[in-house]
Amino acid sequence: MNLESLIHARLDGELTPEQHAHLEELLRGDWQARRLYLELADQHARLLQQPQIGTGRLPSQASAAKRSPRWQKFIVPFAAAAVVVAGFIFWPREAAVIEATSNGVAILSQTLDAEFTQSTHRSGETLAPGTLKLAKGLAQIEFFSGATALIEGNAEIEVISAWEARCVSGRVRVHVPPAAKGFLMHAPDMKLEDLGTEFALNVKDGTSAVHVFEGEVIAHTDQPPASLKQGMTLGTTSAGFLPVGELQDLVKQRAAQRFDVWQKWSLETRKDPRLIAYYAFKHWPDDRWDRLVNNFTEPRRPNRAGGAVGARWTQGRWPGKEALEFKRPGDRVRLNLDGTYHALTLACWVKVDSVDKTYNSLLLTDGYENGEPHWQIYEDGSLMFSIAYRPNNQIKAGKYNQMYFSQPVFTADSLGRWHHLAVTYDSQSGEVIQYFDGHEVDREVSYLHAPGRDITFGPCEIGNWGLPTEGHPSPIRNLNGAIDEFAIYSAVLSTSEILTIYQQGKPE
Amino acid sequence: MTDSPPSTENLILLLTQHQEALFRYIFSLVPCEADARDILQETSVALFRKFDQYDATRPFLPWAYRFAYLQVQKHREKSARSPLLFSDDVMDLLANERTHIEPQLDERLRLLDGCLGKLTPQDKELVTSRYALRQSAEDMMQRFDMSRRTLFRNLEMLRQRLHECVTHQLQSEGLA
Repeated sequence: MNLESLIHARLDGELTPEQHAHLEELLRGDWQARRLYLELADQHARLLQQPQIGTGRLPSQASAAKRSPRWQKFIVPFAAAAVVVAGFIFWPREAAVIEATSNGVAILSQTLDAEFTQSTHRSGETLAPGTLKLAKGLAQIEFFSGATALIEGNAEIEVISAWEARCVSGRVRVHVPPAAKGFLMHAPDMKLEDLGTEFALNVKDGTSAVHVFEGEVIAHTDQPPASLKQGMTLGTTSAGFLPVGELQDLVKQRAAQRFDVWQKWSLETRKDPRLIAYYAFKHWPDDRWDRLVNNFTEPRRPNRAGGAVGARWTQGRWPGKEALEFKRPGDRVRLNLDGTYHALTLACWVKVDSVDKTYNSLLLTDGYENGEPHWQIYEDGSLMFSIAYRPNNQIKAGKYNQMYFSQPVFTADSLGRWHHLAVTYDSQSGEVIQYFDGHEVDREVSYLHAPGRDITFGPCEIGNWGLPTEGHPSPIRNLNGAIDEFAIYSAVLSTSEILTIYQQGKPE
Repeated sequence: MTDSPPSTENLILLLTQHQEALFRYIFSLVPCEADARDILQETSVALFRKFDQYDATRPFLPWAYRFAYLQVQKHREKSARSPLLFSDDVMDLLANERTHIEPQLDERLRLLDGCLGKLTPQDKELVTSRYALRQSAEDMMQRFDMSRRTLFRNLEMLRQRLHECVTHQLQSEGLA
């Protein structure tokens, strides 16, 4: 074994005592050998310590990780001396098996025209204990205990736990199912213990009024506890109590409006001559096979229609808008796009339920021939665009693979909701720009780029990768989620155009 | 706990900030992960005990390295029979030279991140499996359908490529 191999075997713990003695002899006699050893040992130690950079590619992220290792937050808050020692037990020895945790206690399940001060919130978001200041609009909070609170701005609510909240000001209506019996709502001068019921609470200028619509509430005040039954009111208020049902209706109305805005925009945008294909994911009731994914470009190019395989129709961004859901390893939409191009833009609306494969397909050509684009979500939640051009005599593409990664965009918070993704690529400048919800998340040129090489698609698919060749298993890359709009352009759309697409189509 | 809280807090902050560098130092002398981690813990305890002697106007790491070196010696005495430990003289040489080239080593790590980004997907998988998932050789042999020999050879080539990539980058920056 030569020096290098001895060092690597030493690092992997694969060295016999004899080999170790040999290595030691080499190190003892030669400073250059020691230098090489020190460099390789240092590199190995770094990889052992920062497995998060093991997935590579994000220098800015990796250096951020260097500055603040993720376990730091565990150690710093403990000032007790003993923890100096104990703190190191938190070392992520097996980073991959640490279970994900959340400090959420409730979900902001629906909002309507909601404006929050001091913090931004979106519907569907998990709420950790803290204060919500709703300046205007309506918001519905579903506590993990099962209790639901509808809040009307202007209001200030403190979410204390899954079982407890405080209304500092505003109008609130609370529904507590039997499973959440015992839910506590604090208000100025009173504490309401819910025994499975529905009640409304108005708090203004530090005084509270409560009205029970159904069931029973125990009101704890400076008086002995009082039982409030259906129809009873405690305290006085000039405003009416918050009616229920209003939010649901308004949310439906709003969704219909958004759907309408998008439809009008969609009817115009499909005339864009730069479109190679435009899939609006409209399910044709008279399609007896139920598998047609029509290309809506105008003038019509029916030869670019897609065929759904496995994927099932489901609801898209709004009621009435359809989408295809990709769940099983075989689910996909087959396409065949002719032509060669000098630039491209891929844009889609997708709801990703889980990033559970190494590569999660958005659009991939069947093989990976020269000039064929691949667009995927990488396992760390980042957007990944790649295109390869290998010299004529080379068989393996890996070395010539131009890969572009965004920062991770799919995190626990962004899963399960509709997002707009886009990527543009210019074969002259080599610049790739990636977008998430209309905003740029990556812009780079690969060091492998050479100007002017063609882009082609050919047989390709949405939501999965490739037809297996006979006798060879294919890697599993199906998307776990749903897509309800997919546009492919033969040009680079500008930053403002991408933002417009997002704004015209955003779900709420 | 007679220590005043601020000084304990300072130590925690210093350790948090420099723990990675300390680990790398120890690992270069005892290139076995589990042992190096144990030694790091013992070093942390030693630092805690002697922290009142630390002169805050001076850099922390050189001071901490002395404790780490002592703990490495203690570890050697405890496991003197292990044939896989460097002898005293070699360890001395390594420790000395490492402090001299530390700035260059740090520079290399800065460039390592970029080089990881240029790995092929196959190599990235190998890195993830070996370092992020900490898979055993057996698991990796099964996952990549490789013999033990091929697996370790591939790991060697992978690290060698990373090393060469970093060296190349240093050269192009005129630093090597």
